[in-house]
Amino acid sequence: MKLLIVEDEKALSDSISNYLEQESFVCDQAESYAGALEKIEQHDYDCILLDINLQDGNGLELLKTLKSNHKGDGVLIISARNSLEDKVSGLKLGADDYLSKPFHLSELGARVAAIIRRRHAAGSNLIRLEETLIDIQARSVSVHGRVLDLTRKEYQLLLYFAYNKGRVVSKNAIAEHLWGDDSGGADNYDFIYTHIKNLRRKLVEAGAGDYIQSVYGMGYKLMLP
Amino acid sequence: MKLFTHYSRINILASVLALVVGSIGYYFIIRTILIHQLDDTLEVEEAEILSHVGLKDQLPEPANYRDQQISFTPAQAPGDRRFINIIRPDSFYHNERRPFRQLIFSVRVGGQMYTATVSKSEEETKELEKWIMLVTAGMILLLLGILYLANRLLMRRLWQPFYQTLEGLRGFNLASHDPLTYTPTSIREFRSLQQVVEQMTRQIGRDYEMLKAFADNASHEMQTPLAIINSKLDLMIQDQGLEERHLHQLQAMYDAISRLRQLNQSLLLLTKIGNYQFQQEEPVALESLIEKKLGQLEDLIKDKHIAVSTDLQPCRLQMNAYLSDILLSNLLTNAIRHNYDKGAIRIGLKQDLLLISNTGEPLSFDPTTIFDRFTKSAHSEGTGLGLAIVRQICDNYGFSLAYINEEGWHTIRIGFSSLEV
Repeated sequence: MKLLIVEDEKALSDSISNYLEQESFVCDQAESYAGALEKIEQHDYDCILLDINLQDGNGLELLKTLKSNHKGDGVLIISARNSLEDKVSGLKLGADDYLSKPFHLSELGARVAAIIRRRHAAGSNLIRLEETLIDIQARSVSVHGRVLDLTRKEYQLLLYFAYNKGRVVSKNAIAEHLWGDDSGGADNYDFIYTHIKNLRRKLVEAGAGDYIQSVYGMGYKLMLP
Repeated sequence: MKLFTHYSRINILASVLALVVGSIGYYFIIRTILIHQLDDTLEVEEAEILSHVGLKDQLPEPANYRDQQISFTPAQAPGDRRFINIIRPDSFYHNERRPFRQLIFSVRVGGQMYTATVSKSEEETKELEKWIMLVTAGMILLLLGILYLANRLLMRRLWQPFYQTLEGLRGFNLASHDPLTYTPTSIREFRSLQQVVEQMTRQIGRDYEMLKAFADNASHEMQTPLAIINSKLDLMIQDQGLEERHLHQLQAMYDAISRLRQLNQSLLLLTKIGNYQFQQEEPVALESLIEKKLGQLEDLIKDKHIAVSTDLQPCRLQMNAYLSDILLSNLLTNAIRHNYDKGAIRIGLKQDLLLISNTGEPLSFDPTTIFDRFTKSAHSEGTGLGLAIVRQICDNYGFSLAYINEEGWHTIRIGFSSLEV
């Protein structure tokens, strides 16, 4: 899987590249509008991470060019402007998703994985984690072919871990992913623990391995053997 | 006092003073002239008597007419020739006492001295004086009246541009961006006033826009550095060599970044709401939105073991869906955040009223500032902007907003009827 990161902040671009390469993505980086244009013309990417506030041009123009060339690349817009207009016009122009800064890399990873799955693995709505199978179409999880009775939050949690497997996901990232802005109302993220405990229990009871590990109380990691 | 009243008062007072002084002078001048004429007539009579005596060497017949009397009395010695004013009974007017002008002079007839007295009634003079003064008084009154009316009309018209400018300033609203409009005037003072006011309001508007743009830009510019820090932390926690003590520090950094992010978002949101950037409105069923929100916040509520009781009646509001969501979100998360463990929340909704009450510590700040920006209790990890956003939304929609503290319950009360005070 090949990604292009269009971001004029080198430090951020490096972080994204570093994080996503752990998930066997190949990442190209472009720091300018011109550089991105060149790379888009030369290569096909599975997904383009596009910062729309570039020094030498608007990322939305890049998106227009991309779509007028009938490239099938998936596009995830990254913007420092959390503005509805940017979001709407970006999605109208054919972007797949929109993420505003600052974001957690795990959130970015999940979004990218979702875009690639939707665009390229046609028919493959299934994610396999050893003996556990996530059916994204049916929004269900089964272990050894037996469907588990998961709550919506537990399902979202498992999917989030699956998209970020092998990497530590912070509690803050989980809270923001599952509860969005409402997570701000919490003094601590203890309530996440309850959901994770239940999810692990249900998976283990159904005969799956206990793959979700706690990392010193600051996050969790899905580790497959 | 109005400028016109002030001006009129001074103007009319000065006019009256000038006219009174003038009238008194006028009276004396007229009187002097009339008396002088009377004296001329008396002197003509004197000349006639003297020439009569000179020709015939005898006194003429004393005369007693209505307008003129002549009498002679023998005298010891010649007296001074003089004019006098006397008031004496007038035989032609039932002996009423009336003013006369008399010329007294001496005449010698055959060695005998006589004192001749020629009198003329001042009646006609008085009459004339009276009429002249009456006409003058009438003129004065007429003049004053016309002066007053003319001033009134003139002032109204002349000051029109001034009042227009004043009205414009009174209605000046920074947020609405409406420039002050003028009808051009030919009066230089008012024109420069208008120009100055226009320049000033334009400048204020520009400064205001710049300030807003600054807040907006500053918040936006902070997003990228925050994203960098956040991404580096996300990478750092992947490091297997980290020890638990490091992770605690990293957690503190995460939490700080979360707060910064929320602070930034809240500031941006506040600006956007203030700028009326959420125009699209739709009917919102508040009761079902409350139920939905409570569902979303279930984990937070359970985590603190808070008992929630609701009394929801249907309530339809015409407002922006996103803002209604933010409104309830902020109110409810506040009620949870500032609650005790095992505390309680009561939500009451009527067609025109929303009451959200929660138990919790007494406020550590002045309750009147509760809706101000960055008002929060010392130990709160919130942004201090939640209720400021609530107020901004309420202001935009003309809702009334109040905080009530009763028997340990903190209540936020929102009245949806804009008629309510």
